Amino acid sequence: MLVTLCYSCKDNTSPGYEYMPDMYRTPPIETYAEHTIEGYDGIPVEGTIARGKLSSFKYDGTTEGYLIAGEESTYPDSIYKVDLGGKVKSIPFKNNQKTLEEGEKLYGIFCAHCHGINGEGDGSVTHPAYSAVPAYNDSEKIRPRANIPMSELKEGHIYHAITYGLNAMGPHASLLNEEERWKVVLYIQEKLQNYGK
Amino acid sequence: MIFVRYFILLSLFVSLNILSAQTGEEIFKRDCASCHMITDAKLIGPGLKGVTEKYEREWLVKWITNSSEFIASGDERAIAIWEEYNKIAMPAFYYSDDEFEALFSYLENPPVEEVVADADVDGVVVAEDGMDASTQLMLAALALLIISWVLISVKNSLKESLNEETVSVQQSILSFFKKPINKLFSVLFVAIIGIKLFYDVTMGIAVTTNYQPKQPIAFSHKLHAGMQGVDCNYCHSSARTSKHSGIPSANVCMNCHNAVAEGPSGTEEIQKIYDAVGWDPDKRQYIEGYRQKPIEWIRIHNLPDHAYFNHSQHVSVAGLECQDCHGPIQEMEEVYQYSELTMGWCIDCHRESAVMMADNEYYDEMHKKLKVKYAGEKITVDKIGGLECGKCHY
Repeated sequence: MLVTLCYSCKDNTSPGYEYMPDMYRTPPIETYAEHTIEGYDGIPVEGTIARGKLSSFKYDGTTEGYLIAGEESTYPDSIYKVDLGGKVKSIPFKNNQKTLEEGEKLYGIFCAHCHGINGEGDGSVTHPAYSAVPAYNDSEKIRPRANIPMSELKEGHIYHAITYGLNAMGPHASLLNEEERWKVVLYIQEKLQNYGK
Repeated sequence: MIFVRYFILLSLFVSLNILSAQTGEEIFKRDCASCHMITDAKLIGPGLKGVTEKYEREWLVKWITNSSEFIASGDERAIAIWEEYNKIAMPAFYYSDDEFEALFSYLENPPVEEVVADADVDGVVVAEDGMDASTQLMLAALALLIISWVLISVKNSLKESLNEETVSVQQSILSFFKKPINKLFSVLFVAIIGIKLFYDVTMGIAVTTNYQPKQPIAFSHKLHAGMQGVDCNYCHSSARTSKHSGIPSANVCMNCHNAVAEGPSGTEEIQKIYDAVGWDPDKRQYIEGYRQKPIEWIRIHNLPDHAYFNHSQHVSVAGLECQDCHGPIQEMEEVYQYSELTMGWCIDCHRESAVMMADNEYYDEMHKKLKVKYAGEKITVDKIGGLECGKCHY
């Protein structure tokens, strides 16, 4: 009786007791921890660019930016460029099986639930707002913004759409860094725009 | 303004309708659904529920065929709708009479919305599970007590009717404890239970298994990760690359919820995201100058500060699934802590789990040596130093 009584009192909405709370919650501010510093809201000063995050993609989020990016922008030459004491080691971006595989993995995480695992617009998200996702291999229907069908979209178009979003799709720049975005674009162009052809 | 002009220009292009006659639903899905909902919810353009009653057919045909020309001709209603939707003109669609007929009949009789048969969306599921094991045990113990009391009473009344000497319940309990052997066993029994209780309580301090706090937004992992199939790493994108599996900032929610303002439980919970980021769901715009505020989620999994844990090491290098530690998240309406997160729990796993050697170039040389050293044995995490104190405590 006593035992069961004690166990049944356990309340799952409270974390319970701790031995030494100061060993769980230290004075320095940790990620996601609450703080009481007045006036500090964690938002960087406007115009701040994190180290190594200066973008080489110079186009703005408008339709014009989209069209110019489609014409001009293209893949970076190389990834993993390392300078080993005068000897530059770099791996070419394109025609690199590993880049493509990583692109496939990232596509599976960030795109497939709407665009479908084979890019046919048949993802697992069923909400009506996302019921008309176009297929990458559609070569007939002219897209209103790019004025070409999905299967002919240039890498700049796709990169722009990932970065700034398009229609109901939100901007994904905060989820994928530049290199990862190009890998996804490569996978879409190499495997999905000609899927089943 | 250039943006608007471009759209007008664009919509002047003839969008070739090379496909043969189709059903209204097919036309709607192909040409309309990326900007319009069949319900009255707004997307890029207005929801089309009841649009055929609001406007006459000739008006709609003119609008669909070439909306920018129609606006330029000075039609008041056309200008009004154009201005309401941020002056973004709709591309032109040239349909045959049959196709218009099919499209309008689809718009007049939209498919009946399927009611999602999920009563447990609001977390009512807990009540349906019935009592927990401990409550059942308590009831059983109570029932046993009552039964023994009744039996003793029956025995006494039977003895009374036979004119024999009766023993009351209190007396029988007292006489039980008068025997020394019974006394000894009772004391031992109580002591064992006491020690066990003390051990359990002290060992349970700071172990927060099953901790399930009420979060500021009734977010359902079952709906998002389970039913809609969104990958864990989509929202928790930093789990691949950093120590923390980040709580998604509200802009990640907005990637989908800019278009989805109503969930199975209504608009109230999603409105909380909009309140945090300053989004106006009617205009589908961020409110200018809005002071954004964080959503204060309550942390469930918390390691003590003296223990180091890194998500990317487990997710990217070891290739673990999130569910290995966090349990069936995709089935949880509200998230609770699945694993103990004690040191013993960490160590058990490090003793049993094999190191992922394939395609792991980072430790190429090291792995070759290990394969020689432990030839024929399973190379577990502890064999590469996964039990050294300094790996996690420094």
